[in-house]
Amino acid sequence: MSFSQQLRRGALVALAGSALLAGTLTACGGQEASGDGGSATSGTVNWWSWTPDNDLAGREIAAFNQEYPDIKVVYKKVPIDNYAAVLRPALASSDGPDVFTVNASGSFSGTTFAPYALDLTAGTKKLLGDDWQSKVSPIGVKAFTVKGRLVASAWAKVGAGNMWINKETFDQYGVKVPTNLAEWQQACDTFRANGLGCFREGMGGTSGFVIDTLHSIMDSAQPGLWSNLLAGKAKWTDAGVVQSLQILQDLTTSKILDAGATGIQQYPDVNNDFLTGKVPMVQMGTWYQQYASVPSLTAALEGAGVPADTKKITIMPISFPDVAGKGNPSTLFTDPDAGQAVNAKSKVRNAAETFALWLGDTTNGQQVVANNLDEFPTLKGVDVQFDKVTLVNPSVQEPALKDLTQQLSSATEARSYGIGAQLSAAIVQACQQVTSGKKPGDVVGAVQTAAATGE
Amino acid sequence: MTTLTHRPGATTARPSRRRLQRPAGLPWILPALVVSVGLLYYCIFYTAYLSTLDWDGVSPLKDSVGAANYVKMVGDPVFRGALWHTLVFFVVSLVVQVVLGIVFACLLHSKLYLKTFYKVLIFIPVVLATATVAPVFRQIYAPDGTLNGLLGAVGLGSLQHTWLSDPTIALLIVISVQVWQSTGVVFVLYFAAIGQIPPEMIEAARLDGAGNLRIIASIVWPSVRGTTIAITILTAIGSLKTFDIPFLVTSGGPSYGTEFLGTQIYRVSISFAQVGYGAALSMVLLVLALAAAVVINVGGRRGSATDV
Repeated sequence: MSFSQQLRRGALVALAGSALLAGTLTACGGQEASGDGGSATSGTVNWWSWTPDNDLAGREIAAFNQEYPDIKVVYKKVPIDNYAAVLRPALASSDGPDVFTVNASGSFSGTTFAPYALDLTAGTKKLLGDDWQSKVSPIGVKAFTVKGRLVASAWAKVGAGNMWINKETFDQYGVKVPTNLAEWQQACDTFRANGLGCFREGMGGTSGFVIDTLHSIMDSAQPGLWSNLLAGKAKWTDAGVVQSLQILQDLTTSKILDAGATGIQQYPDVNNDFLTGKVPMVQMGTWYQQYASVPSLTAALEGAGVPADTKKITIMPISFPDVAGKGNPSTLFTDPDAGQAVNAKSKVRNAAETFALWLGDTTNGQQVVANNLDEFPTLKGVDVQFDKVTLVNPSVQEPALKDLTQQLSSATEARSYGIGAQLSAAIVQACQQVTSGKKPGDVVGAVQTAAATGE
Repeated sequence: MTTLTHRPGATTARPSRRRLQRPAGLPWILPALVVSVGLLYYCIFYTAYLSTLDWDGVSPLKDSVGAANYVKMVGDPVFRGALWHTLVFFVVSLVVQVVLGIVFACLLHSKLYLKTFYKVLIFIPVVLATATVAPVFRQIYAPDGTLNGLLGAVGLGSLQHTWLSDPTIALLIVISVQVWQSTGVVFVLYFAAIGQIPPEMIEAARLDGAGNLRIIASIVWPSVRGTTIAITILTAIGSLKTFDIPFLVTSGGPSYGTEFLGTQIYRVSISFAQVGYGAALSMVLLVLALAAAVVINVGGRRGSATDV
């Protein structure tokens, strides 16, 4: 073989190798799947989400299978902190989930993942009629409509702004439910004198539960400011924000808030501490009412690794105390928590659409969501059937949960809708800093800068 | 006696022609070369390209912003903090690991019972996944965790602290986990290096009246210089790439007090969907890793030359 032949042969090999590489790399890019999307009533559907817990998802899937026995739904619960990281490459590949849950805002919102989602408008119209928008929660439609496409079927809404207490602990030490700062201080003094913690919150990591606390404080100090901030009508350097952060700092220095908040996480640290009876009060939203039910609390306790015969606590929702002392009532704020999107590249997208729409837009689907006590249904006319729910302490919990439902139905303020990932991180950072002793006036500038980026 | 003399031109010309006529190896290694270059260098160049974009990683819209991401980095206090944490992490973990590694290696080269048991004991943390041990460390340092419980039990309640909520202590905890996990590897490297030192040299030193510390300082330490340089380079690059320990133990907090380049790249690219900025941070990490390797290597060689 002559040199020139070898060279040609080498060039051919190089070309083939390059073509192979190019093909491999090209295959990594997103493409629309071919095919008709398969049957709408059979197939295996992979559903990824950060919520609900496995036991609740199992109930929803079981109810779905009573109507669609030939669609097998495989649920994968992904930790909320990693959800965007896991979902992004999965959807970019050809092997992503068939149904994926998206949030109303933030790093895994419907807007963020809209390019990968099927337009569900036609399917929803087919199911609910042309006037479908009048039959579902309007905030869900607004959150999940992106450039005229319904990228997710609103599945549930959620509220926050309330707190949860362990009723047995309060009763044991004769502590009155606090309604203002002085009573809260007194309650915490009593608990601490008996070797307990008081109000525990996990501010570590990036999860933004402390944002709800700041929001509640702000509603007590200056009602309406939060909405104005999110609407861009007020700045985060406003005196009301500084005052609210100061109150948050005071909660720390007065030992109402347990020490070490910035070093622990809400999940699993604080969650496990509260559900196992080590902590008398936490601030969590309406999703926490699931732990009023025996099956969900049992599953959570098993997850926390405590013995099966551990006494189940009676959790009760209470209003956030009037910490500013201005007499402003505690409020709930609400968001469309999640919607089910269908992967446009899914090979079983018709079956996936059947499942997504069943969960969000059918009475049966929404009823099981409601009865799970995890989230509130978005389809109008569906309420919790308490006669089908086994509560830990029905005589006291049922009226309290009904009252919470009533409060949520009249809530108008948004919870996190409009807060992007950067602003969320900046607020969390500011809360961490004031809790660690920094002056509130020194930290609000960074929050305003993040808000001004308009991400 | 015959002396062979070669004309330089003549000796090099013939093998060159032979190389041209010999079946070239290039075509045979080309597929593997293309794949490896594709996987390694394509990624680097693609990351460099991404660093010039304002892109969320999903949207079809990719706005070119030139060097804006690098300019942003200069004014980013979290980035500066991450660099500082990396430097502290590198210096402290290197010093502690090297001291512990040499001490353990010297001890286990001496006459000692249960040597194998101790070797296993020192090496076990190396094989434990960070994901497995992170919850243990979180529990140890929790406000009502093992350490505070222990302090309270022995009457040192005044020393109890919310360890992970203090940025400085949280950084030291992250470093301590790294030291705990990596000292085993350093020990193995030093153990092997010390095994190469001729026993006669140590015996001669002993006969000259040198004690253990003098032998370590004057014989062992210079003899394992190459190993120390390698460990320094590995620790420097490892420090720059640190991700799992701060991510799992402290989540980079509190208040970014344990943020490293790795955790910042993850947070910026994934949580904030600023893939362009994350790529720019990755490029800086790459440059720093290469620079650290070169500087340490050159510094080590110069040190060797000076010694000679």
